[in-house]
Amino acid sequence: MSEAIQFNNVSLNYGSKNDVVEVLKRINFSVNSEEIISIVGPSGSGKTSIIMLASGLETATEGSIKINNEEIVGLKEDKLSEVRRKNIGIVFQSFYLIPNLTAIENVLLSLEANQKYNQDDDAKALLADFGLYHRLNHLPSELSGGEQQRVAIARALINKPKIILADEPTGNLDSANSASMMDLLFNYTKKSKTSLVMVTHDNSIAERCDRIIEIKDGQIV
Amino acid sequence: MVKLFNAQQLRLINKYAIRDFSRSYKKLWVVASTLFISLLLLSLTFSVKEALNNEIEANAKELLGGDIQITSGIDPLPSLVFEELKALGKVSSSIELATMVSKKGQSSVFSELRAVDDNYPLYGEIITTPQGAAEKIFLNTDKPTVLINESIQNLLQVEIGDDVVIMGKSFNVAGLVLSVPDLAERAVFGEFAIISKSSYDQFELSSAGSFLDHEYRLKFNNSNEEGEQTRLAKSIIAYDDTIETRLPGESGRSLNRIIDNFSNFLNLVSVSAMIIAGIGISNTLLSFVNQRNTSIAVKKSIGFSSNFIQLMYFYEIILILIGTSIIAYLFGVFSPLLANEFLPKSLGIDLQPTISLIGYLNIFFIGLLVVLIFSIPSLYSISEIKAVALFRNTFQPVSLNFSLKNIILLAILVTILTTYFVLQTDQKYYTVLYFLAFFITMLIFYGVSKLLIFFLRRLHKFSNNGYRIAYRNIVAKKSLAPIMTISLGIGLTLLLTLSFVANNLKKEISDSIPSMAPDLFFVSIDRDIKSDLEAFIKNIDPNVALEFSPMASASFISLNGTPIEEIVSKNNRSAWVVRGDRRISWAEKPKPDNPIIEGEWWEPGNEDEMFISMDSRAAYDLGMKINDKITLNILGRDVTGTLKNFREVDYRDISVNFAIIINKAFANKLPYEYIGTLKSDLSSNDILALVVERFPNVSAIKVDRILSQISGVLNKIFIAVTGISLIVIVIGLIVIVSAVMVQATFRRYNNLIYKILGVDFPTILKAMTIEFAVIYFTLIFFALSVAVLGSYLVVENTLQLTWKFDLGLTLWILLTTATVSFVLILMANKSIFSPKVYPLIRNE
Ligand SMILES: Nc1ncnc2c1ncn2[C@@H]1O[C@H](COP(=O)(O)OP(=O)(O)O)[C@@H](O)[C@H]1O
Ligand SMILES: [Mg+2]
Repeated sequence: MSEAIQFNNVSLNYGSKNDVVEVLKRINFSVNSEEIISIVGPSGSGKTSIIMLASGLETATEGSIKINNEEIVGLKEDKLSEVRRKNIGIVFQSFYLIPNLTAIENVLLSLEANQKYNQDDDAKALLADFGLYHRLNHLPSELSGGEQQRVAIARALINKPKIILADEPTGNLDSANSASMMDLLFNYTKKSKTSLVMVTHDNSIAERCDRIIEIKDGQIV
Repeated sequence: MVKLFNAQQLRLINKYAIRDFSRSYKKLWVVASTLFISLLLLSLTFSVKEALNNEIEANAKELLGGDIQITSGIDPLPSLVFEELKALGKVSSSIELATMVSKKGQSSVFSELRAVDDNYPLYGEIITTPQGAAEKIFLNTDKPTVLINESIQNLLQVEIGDDVVIMGKSFNVAGLVLSVPDLAERAVFGEFAIISKSSYDQFELSSAGSFLDHEYRLKFNNSNEEGEQTRLAKSIIAYDDTIETRLPGESGRSLNRIIDNFSNFLNLVSVSAMIIAGIGISNTLLSFVNQRNTSIAVKKSIGFSSNFIQLMYFYEIILILIGTSIIAYLFGVFSPLLANEFLPKSLGIDLQPTISLIGYLNIFFIGLLVVLIFSIPSLYSISEIKAVALFRNTFQPVSLNFSLKNIILLAILVTILTTYFVLQTDQKYYTVLYFLAFFITMLIFYGVSKLLIFFLRRLHKFSNNGYRIAYRNIVAKKSLAPIMTISLGIGLTLLLTLSFVANNLKKEISDSIPSMAPDLFFVSIDRDIKSDLEAFIKNIDPNVALEFSPMASASFISLNGTPIEEIVSKNNRSAWVVRGDRRISWAEKPKPDNPIIEGEWWEPGNEDEMFISMDSRAAYDLGMKINDKITLNILGRDVTGTLKNFREVDYRDISVNFAIIINKAFANKLPYEYIGTLKSDLSSNDILALVVERFPNVSAIKVDRILSQISGVLNKIFIAVTGISLIVIVIGLIVIVSAVMVQATFRRYNNLIYKILGVDFPTILKAMTIEFAVIYFTLIFFALSVAVLGSYLVVENTLQLTWKFDLGLTLWILLTTATVSFVLILMANKSIFSPKVYPLIRNE
């Protein structure tokens, strides 16, 4: 099996020389393709930072990060955008749909970023699978939190990325909603042979994953 | 925006831009409306100017009245010369003079009179009511006829068919002259009448010499060889260099200059309006970008590049520009029709709207440059939005991006804009100066905001919550104080400057009738009748104040042996004193209202030497010193005299004033006439009527008539300036609102947090008031300084009036601007008064 994500001695520091905050300290781990992983740990331990590094939205201070065997540390913004576009889907805790675009348009955005223009039907089908067929042309403000998050997941999945990165995707949802949403996420990542890296505080969710990475004070324990 | 995109991506950009615009046009109304208003202003001025130029160019011959015009002055051309000219083509000769036209025994008015032969007009036509009345003046009836203009009709209260008296002869009014092709400039706003030359000759009318011109207009037989014919005509009259010629296109030159100056002024103001609008555009775009902070971050997290997003918003702005500029241009195109209503009818000018692609592109190009200049720093801020913020739920507002690359790009664009504009105007020097001043003012206000922040940081010990919040808002890392300061500062400065200029003009109108002003001006009185006239008037009113001054014509030749043209530049404020014919006077004693401020008056009785007294302001402007040698040409003879003293002359007191006075003993040898003033408790109308009846060749102007002519012109300028100020105010206010909108998004968030933390509403309101007051009070000093300096230069140098400061007006403007801006700020922030937590949490 090939490796979807590879972290080699990755460190992340913030602040100036005199006032360094060491957020991640020489982290090593890898995620195989089709593997589902959860990252757990106390607040402030560096879970989100790992997701940010893996998505290429934050730059590692030291070490090497490979996405699909391609080194991303040191790449320029345009190149990083491309790697992200082709390989990664992100799900945020706060959904972050674009407020003036409808559900379907939010999903299509992801395809269009990859210059795929005539796949409206795929997007509709995916949203229908997610139980949102009657909500296609609604704006985010007209959707409930659970519905918004399902649109956000559809947006991450539509592009058939190799990797889904999710930072506490159920953090803003009640338990009923979060359970049904996790079912969706697990089913679809399995079906489309996608790797999933998910930060969560929910033990019941973590236990459903192939592997759990626990993190404390910026180090894997 | 360097990277190239493929066709499909461009199509995507087009789709996103249109979708975005259709869903958020409400947020872009500031961009659209400020762009529209300023483009409209620009389009109006360009269209009117172009229409005027077209009209003048197309009617060059009509405006001159011939292929060439020859003016021989007081004496007619010798008949031999006249015959020679006739060989070249059709000649129309006329006499142009100023004289009294009166309703017998009742009222009279000083008027421009033209006596024409029956070849007149060679080009164009005399437009009259009733139609065809022009021919009547040539009919050989017992009673000669005259055409008068509407102004004479109104002042004398005469109707068609009534009689008027001109130089003692009775004329029947055949009709009203609405316009003649070649109208003398001084008759545009005044009184004008036409008689035939034969009646002029037949009745041996004659007027005092100095206001009479013989004019000859030629229409060449062989119109194919105009250049050659012109050269021939010029060679015929070359024997006398006092004979002047004018060619088509040179006619109405000073009218052209006035139009050019005024439209140049309008153009500059409209470009200022554009630049102020630009600040508004910049603000709105920045607030737009900040409102879309998360959407932009999301797009980046999905994999769109900054370039792509920037290009999309940029494309959206260009779409708005295209839309607004087309509408503004179409409105502007029809403005000449409106301008026709404001132009004096007597000019006979009928402006036509012209639509041209070039005309549109001109407006579009200027709009594009301004939009580029002001959207680049705003849109490039998109590259500062970080998608990682989506993980942390914290959004830093971005501010204008002034990277080195941007600064260079902006410098190039500003240079292109300035150059493009300067190339289109005739006054390149002033235009460059104006642009410089404008950009320096912008820089000053940017510096002011930085200074303010710097000083506030030094004294930050505030115990009071309101002060502390206000202080933090101003000195915050990404403070919006600079944007507020520049927008408010430029708006306030322009408003103050224009108001000061307009106010000084208005003052000039209302102050221009001093209580001591005389009632009548006698224009030219033959020296032989002076004592009779004096006795006659004293007989009517024994208490009359009557003052006569001798007068002769002279022209300035040289100063200390150097020809005056080499010393005095055209732009010199006092160049008029030494250019062309100047009327000089003489006296043995200094006049009490002309105090000597340098040098001494002369001893009376030196017949062989000429002494000169100069208007002090002119003397200083022209660089003269006491004891300089000045050569004047008096009646064809060069005379050199010594400059003895400088007098302070206030031309506005409307008495008889001379820039140049010489000693009487020397001047007694010269031929001369008199001019004079009269002030009486009796009706000046009645006195004038009696005088004109008894002395038909005496001409007098009623002072209130001059003043109403002057104030008529000044009033038009005043209306234009006030109108422009209003437009600038409107744009300025929109800009202020846009500045507030930039702040509103963050303010709402901050104020909400304060509220959650338990800071009460009055404290937030107080903080906002303090913040505004601090910025505004800092601005006042700088805006006022720039406005005082700017308006002083315009009033004193360009308009040649005396600048005065009006404290009341200043306070009024400052107060109303403050109130209006602050109320607008509160309104734009109204959502903070009832902050809703819900939308904030749902990231709306
Ligand atoms: N920009 C920053 N500057 C300094 N420290 C930061 C910054 N961003 C995050 N941190 C710190 O990094 C640590 C890890 O943050 P994060 O990865 O968000 O933790 P988690 O997601 O596990 O709660 C925290 O202690 C946080 O305070
Ligand atoms: Mg976290």
